[in-house]
Amino acid sequence: MTEVMTDWDVGVIVLLLPLAAAMVVFQDNPYHALVVRGILGAIAALVYALLGAADVALTEALMGTMLGTALSVVAMRSSLVLRLGVLATEVAAPTPEFTALCEDLRRGIAPHHLRLEVVPYDDCAALHRALVERDIHGVCTRSRAAALHGPVCQYATVLRVSRLYEILRAAIASPTMHLIYGADPEKVVLVDPVADPFNSTADQADQSEGLVPQEPH
Amino acid sequence: MLYWLSNGCIALGLFFWFWGTFPLLGRRSVLFKLHSLSIADTLGSLAIMVGLLIKIPREWPLLVLALFSLLVWNTVLGYVLAYCSSVEMDHD
Amino acid sequence: MNWILGAMVLATLIPMYAACQNQDIWQKMLAFASIATKTSVAIIVISVLQDDWFIGMVGSIILSVGNASLMLLAQVLKRLNQTNPGY
Repeated sequence: MTEVMTDWDVGVIVLLLPLAAAMVVFQDNPYHALVVRGILGAIAALVYALLGAADVALTEALMGTMLGTALSVVAMRSSLVLRLGVLATEVAAPTPEFTALCEDLRRGIAPHHLRLEVVPYDDCAALHRALVERDIHGVCTRSRAAALHGPVCQYATVLRVSRLYEILRAAIASPTMHLIYGADPEKVVLVDPVADPFNSTADQADQSEGLVPQEPH
Repeated sequence: MLYWLSNGCIALGLFFWFWGTFPLLGRRSVLFKLHSLSIADTLGSLAIMVGLLIKIPREWPLLVLALFSLLVWNTVLGYVLAYCSSVEMDHD
Repeated sequence: MNWILGAMVLATLIPMYAACQNQDIWQKMLAFASIATKTSVAIIVISVLQDDWFIGMVGSIILSVGNASLMLLAQVLKRLNQTNPGY
């Protein structure tokens, strides 16, 4: 190496490595950070090869960049998500209020780089089972007011994760949305408002123990 | 003679690299940048490889392997990136 | 021969700056693709300069396999964008 390259040349190329590392550190979006991490891996492989460690360069490229990036993106995709269970009828024919509510939720969790994933379930029993088994983070159903007071649908959203509840309570000010924190999913009562309009989620949830009702904003 | 030929090829490749990479800094669309970048990277890297091949013919298996993998992968990668980024545009 | 490597480092700095500046993830992916190609060609140039077969082999492998991670990442990001536009 020494006959073709001076120390100065090597130094300039090695300086790229801390530069790329600083770029990774200053990314705030995790997905962007992952892409920049790939850039860091490519630069690191170059530096290792330059310094004569070909095996380290190969390991960095294959494990660090390829496998690391692939595993991280899969893990982030499945963990940075708010899974919201709803009845299948809502998804099949969404009301304008439901669409607006999903949009509100998306906007509320976007600063934390979370995605919203709406998971449809066939009936209330399946929805409740999914909530108890921690398959979903929250459920969103029509509240009783919908069936009673005409055209405007009101929705009640029960979240079993307190941090998500804090984030959404701070972010969302929607009149059609009733946000509830259900510390114990077992005690959340879900009743299909279409089948039984006088006995539905929000009112039951307010009365049952272990739930902290939150007034609509 | 061969010395200047190889150096000329490498210089041409480096020129292609710079010429195709500068649009990355502009405010054009992703597809425009992808177009110039794929042309520049593929052609520039090919020119550099050919220059190295002329300079040191002893390592030809490595260089030919790199040349072909570069050609194939850069084309496929350009296609995949264009497909993925344009699907997002349709969606939006 | 050092001017080749110097110019290559300069050419690598441009997409790095672009990746820093641009907030769109696809522009960052483009910069990543560009840097991946440029660094692996630089590795091959280094191997030829130093007359080291091992480094050259590693450069070829990185050139042919390293892009696969990019494609995987692009596919997952595309799926992500479909379910949640705006990323």
